[in-house]
Amino acid sequence: MSKLKVAFFDFACCEGCQLQIYNLEEEILDLLELVEPVEWREAMSDQSDDYDVAIIEGSITRIEDEKRLKAIRENAKILIALGSCATTGGVNKLKNNFEVQDVKEYVYGKDADMPHLDTYPTKAVNEVVKVNYMVHGCPINIKEFSYIVRCLAIGKEPKIPDYSVCVECKMKENVCRFEYGEICLGPITRAGCDAKCPSSGMWCFGCRGFVDNPNVNAAEDVMAEYGKTLDDLRGKMLLFGSKQEY
Amino acid sequence: MTVKKLKKAAFDKWVAACIGNQRVFGVQAKEDRFVFAPLANAGDLRLDYDVTILPPKKYFLPPRETLLKFDRKEGFESVFDSQPFVLFGVHPYDMVAISQTDKLFAMDQYDTHYFDRRQKATIVACDVQNASKEVFAGCMGTATVDDGFDILITKIDSEYLVDIRTEKGQALADTIKDAEDADEMSLKLRKLVWADNTKLLQKHKLNVRPDVLPRLLDRSYEHPVWEEKAQRCFSCGSCNLVCPTCYCFDVRDDVEWSLQKGQRYRVWDGCLLSEFAAVAGGHNFRRNRADRYRHRYYRKGKYIPEKIGEVACVGCGRCITACTANIANPVEVYNKLVDEGK
Repeated sequence: MSKLKVAFFDFACCEGCQLQIYNLEEEILDLLELVEPVEWREAMSDQSDDYDVAIIEGSITRIEDEKRLKAIRENAKILIALGSCATTGGVNKLKNNFEVQDVKEYVYGKDADMPHLDTYPTKAVNEVVKVNYMVHGCPINIKEFSYIVRCLAIGKEPKIPDYSVCVECKMKENVCRFEYGEICLGPITRAGCDAKCPSSGMWCFGCRGFVDNPNVNAAEDVMAEYGKTLDDLRGKMLLFGSKQEY
Repeated sequence: MTVKKLKKAAFDKWVAACIGNQRVFGVQAKEDRFVFAPLANAGDLRLDYDVTILPPKKYFLPPRETLLKFDRKEGFESVFDSQPFVLFGVHPYDMVAISQTDKLFAMDQYDTHYFDRRQKATIVACDVQNASKEVFAGCMGTATVDDGFDILITKIDSEYLVDIRTEKGQALADTIKDAEDADEMSLKLRKLVWADNTKLLQKHKLNVRPDVLPRLLDRSYEHPVWEEKAQRCFSCGSCNLVCPTCYCFDVRDDVEWSLQKGQRYRVWDGCLLSEFAAVAGGHNFRRNRADRYRHRYYRKGKYIPEKIGEVACVGCGRCITACTANIANPVEVYNKLVDEGK
């Protein structure tokens, strides 16, 4: 069996999801038995336009990003969005809560209108091109990434959870964060992280994005039940859930 | 068999001896709640608990369980990795749930993995000392239990009655020291505890006898309550996962990096989850939240009773506590069907 040729491309992000792949440590050799990286900026200096799978990390925030991404899509048979920034826009979508000009001036000061610093409201990868598979999370769950790679290698459709973090949290037998009077985004957030944050005593930040059909209409009633308001909920959702498509 | 009476010190010594001799899981505190967990010290055992977050079903049907290992060339081999263990502190309502699951997993397709674990378990049940805030076992006939367990413990004042019912129970009780046989008075007091618990474990009051539920549901399929409640449902499945009588699972395969070897495993599933009734080709038999919400009540109150003659709700109240949206109180729903059907 010939190895899948894989290229990694990063856009607006911290490149921490790529880093998770190196964190496979000894297993990375197993991964390299199945795939042949041809471009991977954090790991090697080679570049190539000849690949089967393009793995896209980061959000799209500039006109030239959009052109580059479309060219990658043309070249790739399979395109995978890697990490929150790519799958939902993630933290970068915080920007979309403000006017673009205000954001530019806040960040770049007097250089705000320099052409090379031009920017527009953040888009997730699937708002620009067709995405075949999403590896959610900030950072990604490396076990899930590995599972998806193995599925592709044997030609099987990977099964990504379309149920909420509560499922995995209950399996861990955690005390529900709501019982402590906290707002947790677990009930509307896609599972697959093994409920890491609630298992460590934190509420769910919602980094994996919404489940496919979140019950948005229930939010107001449920917040009232706990003596909270929709604004309290919006505040919790700002970090990863700003202007999220669902 | 026999009922022994132990003072606190002798009881603790016995628990310590059990821990020394085998694997023991017992109820312990976890933050502000209680859980079944590996028991290392007799002093950690909390038989005064109200309710555990998860029911003891996790020891018979683990959240994730490997069923078989396969090799694409060599074939497959079933995996059974359970060791004998003791479960200390099972409340009567949970004991009833285990006995129900025993019946269901022996029907149609005998579940070898479930029964492998089940047969290796010695169950020490205990009567409830403190009622949880949502319990309604008293309405469901499950505040007390008379079978299924190997030993039943009842605390009477500062002493423990240890009721040994099976050979497995007798084997476990062999290490009891400084015990006397329970006297008439203790046994009378135990009956009073049972009568009290039936009254005390009714934090919600069901307005019908449980055996009427199947007929009540027969006429309630189109009732507006399903849609009304489901409007607030997150489909998070918490009510399913914490339920002692929910046992649905999904079966999945994963291969190792070699792509030659792999394992088939099962994980807990729940009928409230959006993909639960999705089938090959993409059709979903219960795409709407209300359909899934209704299904759970029919499952507990009609479909399972049709199979085993018992209502599959034991009144533990865990679903009420676990539901963030506060829509999962079975008593409220069933009472609504009663009131509006008049």
